Amino acid sequence: MDVGLALAILGAAVATFMAGIGSAVGIGIAGQTGAGVVSEDPDKFGLTVVLTALPGTQGIYGLIMGFLILFRVGVIGAEPMDLTIPQGLSMLFAGLPIGFVGWMSAIYQGKAVASGIQLIAKRPEEFGKAMIYGVMVETYAVFALLMSLIIYLFAPL
Amino acid sequence: MAVAKMKKLYLIAHQSEKDKVLSILQQSGVVEIGNVQAMDEVAGEDWTGLVVRDQAQEELHEVEAALREVNFALDFLNRHYPAKKKFLDAFGGNRVPMSAEDFAAGQEKWAAVAREACNALRKVDEKLMSLRNEETRLQNLTAQLTPWVALEVPLEEVRGSEFVQMELGTLPATDFDSCRKQLAGEAEEAIVAEINADRKDTYIFLVYPTWKAEAVQDILKKFNFSRHQLSALKDTPAGNLARIREELAAIAKERQKALEAAQVHTGTRETLRYYSDYLAVERDKKQAVGNFARTNNSFVVEGWALESKLPVLENRLAQQCDTVEVVYRSPREGEAYPVLLTNNRIVAPFEFITQLYGTPAPRAIDPTFPMAPFFVIFFGLCLGDAGYGLVLTVLSGLALWKLKMSVQARRIFWIAFAGGISTMVFGILISGWFGGLIPMEPLFFNALVDPMRMLIYSLIIGLVQIFFGMGIRFYRNVREGKLLDAIFDQLFWATLILGLIFLALPGLSEIGRIMSLASAAGLVLTQGRAQTGIVKKFLSGLFSLYNITGFLGDILSYSRLLALGLAGSVIAMAVNMLAGLFAGSVIGYVVMVGMMIVGHTFNLMISILGAFVHSSRLQYLEFFNRFYEGGGRPFKPFKLQVRHVEVIGE
Repeated sequence: MDVGLALAILGAAVATFMAGIGSAVGIGIAGQTGAGVVSEDPDKFGLTVVLTALPGTQGIYGLIMGFLILFRVGVIGAEPMDLTIPQGLSMLFAGLPIGFVGWMSAIYQGKAVASGIQLIAKRPEEFGKAMIYGVMVETYAVFALLMSLIIYLFAPL
Repeated sequence: MAVAKMKKLYLIAHQSEKDKVLSILQQSGVVEIGNVQAMDEVAGEDWTGLVVRDQAQEELHEVEAALREVNFALDFLNRHYPAKKKFLDAFGGNRVPMSAEDFAAGQEKWAAVAREACNALRKVDEKLMSLRNEETRLQNLTAQLTPWVALEVPLEEVRGSEFVQMELGTLPATDFDSCRKQLAGEAEEAIVAEINADRKDTYIFLVYPTWKAEAVQDILKKFNFSRHQLSALKDTPAGNLARIREELAAIAKERQKALEAAQVHTGTRETLRYYSDYLAVERDKKQAVGNFARTNNSFVVEGWALESKLPVLENRLAQQCDTVEVVYRSPREGEAYPVLLTNNRIVAPFEFITQLYGTPAPRAIDPTFPMAPFFVIFFGLCLGDAGYGLVLTVLSGLALWKLKMSVQARRIFWIAFAGGISTMVFGILISGWFGGLIPMEPLFFNALVDPMRMLIYSLIIGLVQIFFGMGIRFYRNVREGKLLDAIFDQLFWATLILGLIFLALPGLSEIGRIMSLASAAGLVLTQGRAQTGIVKKFLSGLFSLYNITGFLGDILSYSRLLALGLAGSVIAMAVNMLAGLFAGSVIGYVVMVGMMIVGHTFNLMISILGAFVHSSRLQYLEFFNRFYEGGGRPFKPFKLQVRHVEVIGE
């Protein structure tokens, strides 16, 4: 196996593990707050779970990017391709946007959502607004996934 | 598709018919009772001294006390003998249907049963409480005595006398040796017996002559001796502990007996539920009276009534009462009235999504109708897999068809049903079945193979929705006679955006250039019109062009339609591929099918959550932003609020 292919595999790894770490931390933050609220009022479990799950999407985006890269270079589903170093690097770069933005945005989304959970602890009728704050953070993870996809699709191999 | 029309309603009747009027208002549930404010609207100023605030405080307290007792009894039964909950009850469909007559007539019978059950359960509860207190006391005593179990001296003998002092207590474990040495040095007659020791403390039994008390006390104080007073107890610690164990066992038995006495009353649970509902309804009535005004013989109700239901209400009042007089008027210019959204049966469930965001202002546009089709389309694009759509449609369809559920749950399932159909359609058009598990080429194009095409479609859909939102605002401005606002604030922006898009298209770029430049000039000239002074006007007009970045961001935001659609499809493919690795042997196929079921279920749930959240978000931030006016107060009619019974009216 040559260096180019290894770099592409690194891209898949980076996209998955960085976004995954972010989601794990983000859900952890939200989950702590959620558990606190549920300890006071178990009926709010449903609402808090929906909010707590929001920072989970970054991890999924990272996983998607990882799978796509592995597909494209043939590590899964076909014969591994011979890639030059620049080609391998461009696949690595495709993994970076969602890796980095997924990582940080999931953590901050977790914090926004944790505050949202406290909001619905006091005013359950404002669930929609609590959700909006969380989803506003997610926009940037979506943009990063978009850029990752564009690099992935248009980088010549 | 609108905010319901309301009428300000005044109702005057004779005191003797108050209860009847209240019942009719409550059962029809179309009037929001407010505080009677302006009496001069009903009568002239001459009435001022005669009219006072009505109230039913005593009756209210009575009903509330009874309700508290019944709810206590229900709580008690649920705590100790939880009713079996069926999973399907979670949707709120487990209420017992009952006619209005039965509901009103049953109360005497219920009251007797409830009173007996409440009294008995109250007694049991008190008994349990005192048993618990006694148990806590004994447990504390056990904890206190356990370290001393090796002491063979009866506790009542551990005290001082004329010649000898005896004491129990602890010393910090680290100080024990030095303390003993010092005692041996300065009061050699003192006997120190180590009874027990744990990591922190040493438990000692101390005997010393009374004439040495002062010296011994000084040393003990120096080493932080902590005295244990147990001389109130008789017998040795071991004897005491044995006795306590017996007492605890007796308490457990008594508790069992008390609970058995309570169990007899689990049969009254249903009756208690009905009666709790009945009392809650009565309480609401008594509370409503606090908003009325009264004279010696009459009373006045003020409130907002649903215009469409007024004739029925008036009819009913006229038929059943003799002295009722109803007056109403339309809301005055600028007068705020409560907001009730009314939509046809297909769109009404989507009010749930509107209400998650907030209540629109009384005279504003109800965004539910224009929003619903976009929501359904977005949901379908985000979920994106025909197989998932089929599963969602079938499950929610079955639930709607077969299950009894609350209005709220029914709305959510209806949204899921519509979203499921949309998902199937878009899945067949641009994606596949279960991530390609059932091989079937998409009819339109494959979004996974050509994501750029999908991205462009997503942005176009976004543009359509944003323009639609601006169109609504434009229409509203025109309707209100603010034609210039409509042109300056909506039309110029629309032509600017369109012009900029034309710029990028070959053949249209010349038109695009003219359009965008003209619109930009128009915006610079008009957007500062609220400012004073020509310089300020110009600068804030110029600055308004900066909002173009906001438009750009909003349109780009619709790229999530592509991203979420791809996300669902790719995960589904990954599930299939991982499961496919096991194919081969019989066990392998079993594992493969199991993995597929688990994997697809997980992906479906995550994707539904994502689709719902992101579809809502696009409505709230990108669409509502263009035209929505919030700040309305939801309509809270005076109605039957019951939890266990479903009262069926005439």
